[in-house]
Amino acid sequence: MKNKDTVSYIIAIILSIVFIYPLYVLILVTFEPVYLTFGRIYPFQLPIILTLSNLINSFHQVGLIVPVIRSVEVAMLVSIIAVLLSIPAGYGLQKLTSRVTNKIILLMFVVNMMPGVVVAIPISVYFIKLGLENSIFGIAFAQELVVLPLSVFIMLGGFRALPKDIENQAHVDGARLHSIFSKVLIPLVKVPILITFLIAWMTSWDEFTYAVIISPINPTFPVKLYDYVSRGEPFVASSFALLVTVPVVVLVIILQKYLKGEYLSGGLNGV
Amino acid sequence: MKVFKNYRNYKYILFVLPALLYVFLLSFFPAASVVYLSFSSKTGFTLSNYRGIEQANLGLAIIDTLIVSVGALFIQLFFALLIANILIKSLKGNKLFSTIFIIPYGVSTVVSAFIFSLILSPIGGFANSTLVSFGLRPVNWYSSSLSELAVVMFSDFWKNTPIVALILYGGLSGIPESLNEAASVDGANSFRRFIHITLPNLAPYIAIALLIRGVSEFNIFAMPLVLIGYFPPLMNTLVYEFFSSSATESYSYAAATILLAIILGFAILIIKIGGVKKYEE
Repeated sequence: MKNKDTVSYIIAIILSIVFIYPLYVLILVTFEPVYLTFGRIYPFQLPIILTLSNLINSFHQVGLIVPVIRSVEVAMLVSIIAVLLSIPAGYGLQKLTSRVTNKIILLMFVVNMMPGVVVAIPISVYFIKLGLENSIFGIAFAQELVVLPLSVFIMLGGFRALPKDIENQAHVDGARLHSIFSKVLIPLVKVPILITFLIAWMTSWDEFTYAVIISPINPTFPVKLYDYVSRGEPFVASSFALLVTVPVVVLVIILQKYLKGEYLSGGLNGV
Repeated sequence: MKVFKNYRNYKYILFVLPALLYVFLLSFFPAASVVYLSFSSKTGFTLSNYRGIEQANLGLAIIDTLIVSVGALFIQLFFALLIANILIKSLKGNKLFSTIFIIPYGVSTVVSAFIFSLILSPIGGFANSTLVSFGLRPVNWYSSSLSELAVVMFSDFWKNTPIVALILYGGLSGIPESLNEAASVDGANSFRRFIHITLPNLAPYIAIALLIRGVSEFNIFAMPLVLIGYFPPLMNTLVYEFFSSSATESYSYAAATILLAIILGFAILIIKIGGVKKYEE
């Protein structure tokens, strides 16, 4: 038994190094002078000479600050729409027979399987007609597609976990649908709502395909970063990449207890 | 009475309708229009777009996409199983490990690709710097098409294994401890317990993970674009390359249609053989 734990530890430690090392590299290129990293054939890997000048330089990159703000705005929009649409959908699905529910969920996922580039190209044509191209609304509306099926799935799981009697009880007490929703049900599914919001936010923050096709002129941060990398100016972008990555990683670590597989795989348990 | 009950039930579809319509309008119709456009020209029905892309790396792109998608899926599934199996044991320090294993989930795809381009770069790469400091010879990670695809797969493994591990961990924690205990009393070793208890109970979760990840894997775009550019071609980078130039824009519709067909084929395969079907009953 002891032996097996040792093996587990060794594997866990090796994997930990693999998972941390890339982040370490990003930190290194941010805080080490450029002549020790980008300036060498074999970059120096130990943090001996440290500097803040890369970081300070990156603050002067107005070209990067605006895309970050845009990314945050888009991510907020996407997650708000996701919550607003998936609450009623999850509630409704939970009321239907599980055969119908599963068909609808499956349908949503199949529609969701349409490749991003396949859908984004015609959408960009529609959005040009509607004046939504290169706007945060255009990106958000398109990215919502990626997020929505999973959001509905998570909310369905949330509503399924509630005791069946709660709503009936409220009915008996004479509450109307509207107040059942706002006073009884919503407070009880706070955690799934938070998870939906979080996952939608992260997905949008990460999303590249729709963003680059629908809004190439006013890019989000991932698109702008790609722009810098493809132009061969990685050192400009690296400290900025770290700056925007750290808050999100910290957020994920703080909220990791909510990021459970049960939610990600939706109402699978309850079926 | 039965009709009444059904009516009561179906009114709840109204709650689902907005989300359903949204996904349908913004996804189904655009996709249908891509398929339509891929077969049409100013004069009517045509196959010229398909003939055009056939000469422009289509076959290579299909093969490369299959290699990357299937390869990445297997690697991720393997390591996710490993991680989930470690985390499910109550080892000391598990909290720290699970925190470390979730880090890549917070690093966005383009940033991950960017970091790996720094690490694996043939000149000035951090991986080679490590190799050299251990007295080994540097490796050119971009020396062949296959190794370039491996670069993409490895970066993708780093970024996406955490999400697969989370899903499988959820499945593992749902398996009652008593099942394993009973089996080990009956003399089943850990390998047999894994085959006969863990895997069958985990099957629906594996199917979900395969479905969610598999579809994204076929859609892999930002990762290869940053790491290897347009060559070796993958379906998505090929579509985007065609789309970026107005001269070949109509080719992008044909390539997109083929990508769509591949993904739908994969999804049907997973749903048919996976555990998803079982859970519908």
